[in-house]
Amino acid sequence: MMILVYGGSGSGKSAFAEKKITELNKSGIPLYYLATMQVYDAEDEERIKRHRMQRAGKGFTTIEQPKDLGNIALELREAKSDILLECMSNVVANEMFSDAISDPSIYDKKVSEEKSFDKYEGVFNKIKDEIIKLKDSCNNLIIVSNNVFEDGNIYDDETMKYIKTLGDINVFLAEISDEVWEVVAGIPVRIK
Amino acid sequence: MILVIGGYAQGKLEYVKEKYQTGGDDIFDFEVEDIAELERYSDGLFSDRQIILNNINSLIKKELDDGKDPEELLGNILSKFNNVIIITDEVGNGIVPIDKNERIYREKTGRFQCMLAQNADEVIRVTCGVGQRIK
Repeated sequence: MMILVYGGSGSGKSAFAEKKITELNKSGIPLYYLATMQVYDAEDEERIKRHRMQRAGKGFTTIEQPKDLGNIALELREAKSDILLECMSNVVANEMFSDAISDPSIYDKKVSEEKSFDKYEGVFNKIKDEIIKLKDSCNNLIIVSNNVFEDGNIYDDETMKYIKTLGDINVFLAEISDEVWEVVAGIPVRIK
Repeated sequence: MILVIGGYAQGKLEYVKEKYQTGGDDIFDFEVEDIAELERYSDGLFSDRQIILNNINSLIKKELDDGKDPEELLGNILSKFNNVIIITDEVGNGIVPIDKNERIYREKTGRFQCMLAQNADEVIRVTCGVGQRIK
């Protein structure tokens, strides 16, 4: 069983996804939380703290996996565990930008280079392959993803490519999911 | 309490006016009015009278700008009005803003809307003027 949980900031999508995976999880099946956020400042720490408190006592083992989901798929293959991956918006950002953030000189070099959309296709294909591996290697998989598509703003090229890539990934995730839920003001609305 | 949520310019107020057959007298719009005016207004009000609180997200923004915690608002509103329709913009469906205050506003508004929805008898999501009852 694979489920996509989708929603905006502060929509309550995490709480719903946690409830859903704990309901699906049968005793004896390991339950993993794949945390994808890279910590840069106190605000990130605060957010992570809030999420940890929300998960406390629900039986999750947390694995930090900001990118390269394929690696974790290999490790988890034998166990056939249940997995909650949160959040795809971080994975896409980390795959596209994380080396840039950790080393600003690389970022400067990158943005000064003339780039095609190919790199983003590369990221799209990489994540797609890795998700398929992850799906095949586990029992139940719930992926949380973010709605970043409706503020109507035009951003710089890099951000627009990020939005496009995440959008493409979300479409792919919805296609291969058994259920898709959109969470609005904490209320889950099933859209597939 | 009824909560109506949807993106900017989706026809939420018109939807409410038509569905609940209300004129303009009982509509409170926080884009132009503030909480003090609402309090003055509500003091003399029969508590069962239907009132519409439009753009509650603007009120949340004002409260945050004044350094207040908007969560306290919820109790105030719920204790004052038995028959209230709250209309709010969905503001969380975009790229996380670079500005910290903008981020806090989005996050707090989202959480506040979750609380409103939890306490609501009905939640309606309006897209393109079409209402979909989700609770």
